[in-house]
Amino acid sequence: MYYPEPISKLIDSFTKLPGIGPKTAVRLAFFVLEMEEDDVLDFAKSLVNAKRELTHCSTCGHITDQDPCSICQDESRDPTLICVVQDPKDVIAMEKMKDFRGKYHVLHGAISPMDGIGPEDINVPSLINRLKDEGVEELILATNPNIEGEATAMYISRLVKPSGIRMTRIAHGLPVGGDLEYADEVTLSKALEGRREL
Amino acid sequence: MYIQELSLRSYRNYDQLSLSFDHKINVIIGENAQGKTNLMEAIYVLAFARSHRTPRDKELIQWDAEYGKIKGSIFKRNRRFPLEIVLSNKGKKAKLNHIEQKRLSDYIGALNVVMFAPEDLNLVKGSPQVRRRFIDMEIGQIQPTYIYHLGQYQKILRQRNHLLKELQRKREADLTMLRVLTDQLIEHAATIVDRRFRFLQLLREWATPIHEGISRNLEQLEIAYDASVKVSEAMDLETLKSTYQEKFTDIETKEVERGTTLAGPHRDDLVFFVNGKDVQTYGSQGQQRTTALSLKLAEIELIHSEVGEYPILLLDDVLSELDDYRQSHLLHTIQGKVQTFVSTTSIDGIEHDALKEAEIFHVKEGTIDVQK
Repeated sequence: MYYPEPISKLIDSFTKLPGIGPKTAVRLAFFVLEMEEDDVLDFAKSLVNAKRELTHCSTCGHITDQDPCSICQDESRDPTLICVVQDPKDVIAMEKMKDFRGKYHVLHGAISPMDGIGPEDINVPSLINRLKDEGVEELILATNPNIEGEATAMYISRLVKPSGIRMTRIAHGLPVGGDLEYADEVTLSKALEGRREL
Repeated sequence: MYIQELSLRSYRNYDQLSLSFDHKINVIIGENAQGKTNLMEAIYVLAFARSHRTPRDKELIQWDAEYGKIKGSIFKRNRRFPLEIVLSNKGKKAKLNHIEQKRLSDYIGALNVVMFAPEDLNLVKGSPQVRRRFIDMEIGQIQPTYIYHLGQYQKILRQRNHLLKELQRKREADLTMLRVLTDQLIEHAATIVDRRFRFLQLLREWATPIHEGISRNLEQLEIAYDASVKVSEAMDLETLKSTYQEKFTDIETKEVERGTTLAGPHRDDLVFFVNGKDVQTYGSQGQQRTTALSLKLAEIELIHSEVGEYPILLLDDVLSELDDYRQSHLLHTIQGKVQTFVSTTSIDGIEHDALKEAEIFHVKEGTIDVQK
């Protein structure tokens, strides 16, 4: 391609983002050229700041600009209840719900021997340490409902079981507002397994 | 059910092709390497979204082409609907009634196909893998959730084998994760074996009388399941699970030593007996063929009883492999009720009423002429 160097570098940077192919990268790069200089500067600053100023909370592993994070510092939240999730995005999803008043622990992944990810490679050791000192009474395992997420939840539950802490797994089944007829067989059979007394 | 129309685009040696078929018998005639099997394979791929000849979808796309396409118009339960498979370097798409199906288990089963090719004569004497594939594909097309369990099982198995390799190297092993994966594996292993048992019971019901018929009441066929774990068909799902649990507890140390999973449905096999003798070891070539033929014919009846309609039968270059008596038994059984595709280099020597009213297609270098 015959682009001047500054723009070809910009295109190259855009292609590093997920979901952006070469064509979209070119479109975005040319769009940047048309933008107001102030907007471009803001954009560049946000990118750098997001990287420089955000760290992982030393307690729960969530992304934060202060350590410990605002959720860990919030004294109105119940410290005896911890929800274990795979990803910072899962914390944000849970927080949108506004119903959960406990704290979190972010694993940053799931155990997968095939990809060389063992329990020590994700935030399992820090979770075990937390359970030792913090007087936690219940652990909600909210890892993803696939093989790796399920295995990770089962692994943690085996590890923690001797301590007597109550452990729960989030339910899986039908999405709210959905139609029964559109559910696939596997989800339906899970939903049936987890049915409740009325 | 039957295929009314089939169109191919950039599929193997076919550039572009569009055909309408007879509801009963279609004979595809051509010299070797002209595209007979490719046409049969296309119908198979339309049903199973994968080839019976190769695991690599890329090979199905015509040389130099970006993508290949198979489209079929299917008539089933008094309803006509289209199926479409699009193959490209990036992967494949399976569309049922114009709607893309994200999961193959939602697609497979829409079109039921039974294929009988020379390789299938190996069903009896070939490797256990051939028989496992046979049983898995057949259950899969009548019970879509079976494919889901099989897929999950294979994923967990890969994870477990990786972990076992790692443990084998380390020596100071933490076995907690292994036990987690064992529990996960057992969940699916028990379901798979349970479904295989129920399928075998059905298969026996059909195959035994058919085999008697082909062998003129001289041979009695029995089918047994040879499992890597002491399970039996009388066990319910819970008993199966606890049996697997015991086995895996027993062999844990050995599995870590060897660095691989040593038991489970992926190591099981089928054994066929004729008059009490293991056909694989002691049967004659003829008995092995009769057994393979009985199983295929049983499959047709089984699908009919489970799905409510006869599947489509693909006889790829196999009629000439059978003697006159077996040939006419086969053609007689399917006559008038099963849409059949027969591929052969020559129609001479196959004399049967069924072929008289057949639609004849001549294949030459990737083009097809219809003979009226």
